Amino acid sequence: MKMRVLVVDDNINNRILETDMLQVAGFTVFEAENASQGITIAKNEQLDIIVMDVRLPDMRGTEAAKILRQDIRLQNIPIIFVTASVMKEDKKEMLGISNIGFIGKPINTRTFALEIERYWENAHNSSVFQTEEE
Amino acid sequence: MNKDTIHEPAEHARPPTRATKTKAVTKSQEYAESIINTIREPLIVLDQDLRVVTVSRSFYEVFQVNPEETVGELIYNLGNKQWDIPKLRELLETILPEKTTLDDYEVEHDFANIGRRIMLLSARQIQLSLGKERIILLVIKDVTDRRDAENGLEKARKELADTKIHEDEAYEYSQSIINTVREPLIVLNQDLRVVTASRSFYEVFQVNPKETVGELIYDLGNKQWDIPQLRELLETILPQKATFDNYEVEHDFTTIGRRIMLLNARQIHRVLGKEHIILLAIEDVTERVDTETGLEKAHNELKTLSVELKRAALAKSEFLANMSHELRTPLNSIIGFSEVLYDETFGPLNPKQKSYINNVLTSGKHLLLLINQILDMAKVESGKMHLVLSQVSTKSLLYEIAMLVEDIVSKKKIHMSLEIDDDLPNIEADELKLKEILYNLLSNAVKFTPECGEIDFSAKKSGSSIEITIHDTGIGIALENMDKIFEGFFRVDTPYSRITEGTGLGLPLSRKLVELHGGELTVQSSGLNQGTTVRFTLPVHASGGGQT
Repeated sequence: MKMRVLVVDDNINNRILETDMLQVAGFTVFEAENASQGITIAKNEQLDIIVMDVRLPDMRGTEAAKILRQDIRLQNIPIIFVTASVMKEDKKEMLGISNIGFIGKPINTRTFALEIERYWENAHNSSVFQTEEE
Repeated sequence: MNKDTIHEPAEHARPPTRATKTKAVTKSQEYAESIINTIREPLIVLDQDLRVVTVSRSFYEVFQVNPEETVGELIYNLGNKQWDIPKLRELLETILPEKTTLDDYEVEHDFANIGRRIMLLSARQIQLSLGKERIILLVIKDVTDRRDAENGLEKARKELADTKIHEDEAYEYSQSIINTVREPLIVLNQDLRVVTASRSFYEVFQVNPKETVGELIYDLGNKQWDIPQLRELLETILPQKATFDNYEVEHDFTTIGRRIMLLNARQIHRVLGKEHIILLAIEDVTERVDTETGLEKAHNELKTLSVELKRAALAKSEFLANMSHELRTPLNSIIGFSEVLYDETFGPLNPKQKSYINNVLTSGKHLLLLINQILDMAKVESGKMHLVLSQVSTKSLLYEIAMLVEDIVSKKKIHMSLEIDDDLPNIEADELKLKEILYNLLSNAVKFTPECGEIDFSAKKSGSSIEITIHDTGIGIALENMDKIFEGFFRVDTPYSRITEGTGLGLPLSRKLVELHGGELTVQSSGLNQGTTVRFTLPVHASGGGQT
């Protein structure tokens, strides 16, 4: 099966790298360079999972996630934050958002697509995600 | 009337005798008697047998004696023997026969009819020209009233003197108090002139006593005491409030410099009169206030410093978080793209290309390690590093680490021996951190040991801890560098270090992580090229409880 993934990142290099890795793994990838774009795409496309940066130019990725959760069709879509903010304090803002995952930058290109797939599988087995311990 | 006027007529008088009475005699007797009766002073004339010849009218009046019972009578028998006075007898019978004249002979006597009298007697024994007969003139001055008045005066004077003594005593008493108290004290009269001042006042304020007493307080010490606050206290506050305590006055004296004084003032009304005095106790609190001010200042500075430190600590962690984020973002590209290229995901590379992109990847990973270690150091130092404790199977962990470094060990043809005691217990520790420690130390040993060298890796139980030792036959550490190796970013400059990658943070971070577990890490080296021994302990039961 082909998973439909949205990648939201304002840094074009990171977006290309992530997109390439996911495409190589056989995913259908949508790209957005800010949160608003991402929200629009998420509402229009039938997505399986969203991969999103936290520091975005128009709003925090966590705020975008909360907006997405208000849409009944996007209430349970898994959201993976891929961020360079890896310190414990940075994870606080993610509390209270359901079905989320966390991958720190720099990403491991060899395992990235696999990790995303695993999150998606877990999301199907249980509705609540656990954030990975640092 | 003085004595002379008494004596003179008495000398001219020719007293009569009971035996003979001639005309001449009678005449002179009359003359004498007229004198006698004129003078106001009681006077009595006795013959040599001490019988009364004649007396003055005033005598009868003063002593209320009947003339008919007087003349011709023995003086002692007068007034029903009231005149039998021992002191009179002494005068007439003892003193006068020897001394013909005696003045102001005091006799005090309690007369039955007239009460107590004090008399001053002047006596003259006169030898009559005719014959051997003598007469005695006795002038009696009643000084009772005068004496009483005098006594009253004397008493009053005495009382006054006594009072004076008391006053003196009180004065001395208060003066001694004034001089005894350590606190400078000054007494002013109502005109604000100095009545007295304590010794300590002179000492503390270095004023000359001679230039103080009687002077207006403001004029003291060459007008140094003309202090507006003092004027306010003495002229405005005290007249309304008789008592005022802890009035703070700060003044810059030219002689003794700036002083802070606490003034206690008392306005005391004297019992007599409307005068009042002012007691002024002056406590020099300069040092105390300065100390307090200094303390307060230090306290405030400390507060500010503490706020600044907190802000600095916050700024530091914010900076580290930002730095971490900002460095990771480009590293994501460097490592990510070089990794993809190296993996030839999108097509093959020639060997040179592959080697180069591997260098980029390795450098990127090194940079990432550096960032992570710096963040870890900062976390440990700020107390934000938290251990995730679990029961760690030490034996398998040690084998695992040994396997991990096997590649680089064999590359340098180093002989590594692993010696683990059979009774090595499992320990409570943060497994990831423990792996990090062991990897750091082992990779250091490999890095600084030349090819074909040796590394001994051993672990044993030591009391309630385990002790892990990593010994190598490498370049060792010069004595002068022993402390620097824990400072961070210090890397021994050797031929080996140039070809090896390292952050210089591995050892200091490892030590901090060991200490976080409640253990100790020590480094020993006999010197350059003498090899290095790193030994650390970890308690079987973590004492830190997982907290820093």
